[in-house]
Amino acid sequence: MYLLRVNMKSQQVSREPVPQKYERLGGRALIARLLLEEAPPTCDALGPLNILIFAPGLLGGGGVSTAGRLSVGGKSPLTGGIKETNAGGTAGDTLPKLGVKAIIVEEQPQRDELYLLRITADTAELLPAGDLKGLGTYATSDRLQERYGPDSTVISIGQAGEYLMYGAGIAVTGERDQRSNHAARGGLGAVMGSKGLKAIVIDKPTGKSIPLADSNLFRESARIFAQKLINDPKLGKQGSQHLYGTASIVAAVNEIGSLPTRNFSSGNFENATELRGERLRELILEREGKVGTRCMPGCAIACRNSYVDDDGKPIVGTLQYETIALMGSNLGLDNLDDVARLNYLCNDFGLDTIETGAALGIALEAGLAKFGDTESILSLLYQVGDGTTLGRVIGNGAVVTGRVFGIRRVPAVLGQAMPGYDPRSLKGNGVTYATSPQGADHTAGNAFGARKEVNPLGVQGQRELSLKLQIIAAMLDSTGLCLFARPPVIADPQLMVDMVNGIYGWGWTKEDLDRFNRTVLRDEIEFNRLAGITPADHRIPEYMRYEPLAPHNAVFDVPDSDLDAVFSAL
Amino acid sequence: MPFSVPYRCTLSVEIELFGQLVTAAERQQILTLEKSMTVQEVAILLGLDPEEIGLISINGVQSELEDLVPQDCRLCFFPPISGG
Repeated sequence: MYLLRVNMKSQQVSREPVPQKYERLGGRALIARLLLEEAPPTCDALGPLNILIFAPGLLGGGGVSTAGRLSVGGKSPLTGGIKETNAGGTAGDTLPKLGVKAIIVEEQPQRDELYLLRITADTAELLPAGDLKGLGTYATSDRLQERYGPDSTVISIGQAGEYLMYGAGIAVTGERDQRSNHAARGGLGAVMGSKGLKAIVIDKPTGKSIPLADSNLFRESARIFAQKLINDPKLGKQGSQHLYGTASIVAAVNEIGSLPTRNFSSGNFENATELRGERLRELILEREGKVGTRCMPGCAIACRNSYVDDDGKPIVGTLQYETIALMGSNLGLDNLDDVARLNYLCNDFGLDTIETGAALGIALEAGLAKFGDTESILSLLYQVGDGTTLGRVIGNGAVVTGRVFGIRRVPAVLGQAMPGYDPRSLKGNGVTYATSPQGADHTAGNAFGARKEVNPLGVQGQRELSLKLQIIAAMLDSTGLCLFARPPVIADPQLMVDMVNGIYGWGWTKEDLDRFNRTVLRDEIEFNRLAGITPADHRIPEYMRYEPLAPHNAVFDVPDSDLDAVFSAL
Repeated sequence: MPFSVPYRCTLSVEIELFGQLVTAAERQQILTLEKSMTVQEVAILLGLDPEEIGLISINGVQSELEDLVPQDCRLCFFPPISGG
């Protein structure tokens, strides 16, 4: 395998053998180490010294079910710290098959020009992409697949990335004409925009798999892993995740009082029934859309949907929980069609729906439109795509929007908006938001659904639970596995060890795997320390410590001493 | 004779089932319990398999199968789910 180094200043694209120190790293783990070694932690996230990394996980390309996620990393303009965000689609599967362990994009063009990186089995080159300027991610993907073939994978930014908005993400295409996979968080779309890189186009590889050191061990462990996914009560064909998608949790999060509602002013939305996964499935099936589809080749869970309008015309590729929470109840909207329209626009502009939903919630609290007023909210969002002054405020995320409009209730940690779980009534997630090197990010360690371990409303045990979940998340993000695939590898870590050993022949033990996972977090914490981030920068917003959240009148009361001690056991 | 008339306590419980659990029983109902029961006993009364229950809440507070069902509460049963 090799590293593909892309210098946007000199326009040189070079293949480098993978240095030994990076050989046993992938995805998030590789990103953390590369950033520590190659990017000054105090650099300007949108300047020439930051690097943007695309790295499949260690299992990528092997055909392991759900293991085709692509990690994208760099210093985040939003948090000022390290960032890894990942997406489904086909890139995490195709890059390893072409021998690419990671793409490292460095420097910036000397002129204000856009480029695309084209990767084939034998070549990689930068090409002018001025004709794509101002296009959304859908049009960009369509145009590049027309040019380079429908089987190619397109990674792209929309207008938000070109405008260097802190809420910008990166889109990745999937099988056939599938869209709407986004490495959305942390403003890495702005980093891609700052590099003048509009898109990456990857040819479909001819090889079916990556080389395997022990094909019997690999095939057997991958087969058992897939079977365990299929047999899992959450994930299999009769499981909630498959039937209702990620929206399966809307009702439960609402019931326990943690569903962000009207700029996180309540944990309970009175019309949540209209936003539930059950309603989503019912509507889609009535209209002959699709449920239970995949975002990655070979995924056994298949939690994706194609949301269609009354006439059966697609609105958005998949409508997910986080978007429903942040752009539904958080904006006072009780109609999935409206949420789907907002989602489509975010996807097209290349915006994180969490960051943008939170920013819009703040804009509504400031009186720019009314909660629940779909058309006014849509017109605010259109302004982001148009790049108006107001649009640029909202597109730069929750913290900027709060500052501009004098709103103090800003649901963000380390500069990044909170996802769809209010930490006052799901305190384990609050601990993750307040300690993860990734800032407020549920994928860094989501405590929702943990049973018998801790009371979500209590303080006891939250710190230990969050650390455990953060270590597991580091493993998933470094191997390319989907977050939902965690049950089999938590129950039997040897399965993960066997799959890794089957591909690479490293002779890892479970202890090696555990060390690997913890090292990811240590590297990230070190990068943030060198970037000047302190525990004080990580605190849950002050108002959440004394403004009680309905219906439980809960406040976030995990003491700072507990937060600061989370990683003492790392 | 203060105890000649047996004291009868009834508990009114609002029940809601979610997701695929609905196939086992009605989605919403009010249940009147003649005696104090655990969540598991109520689940079995409704025809639910406790093994197929993922999450339970009583008045919005996450609960467990062995918890007692209080008076005039809202009891929700969810299938196995996970966030992300």
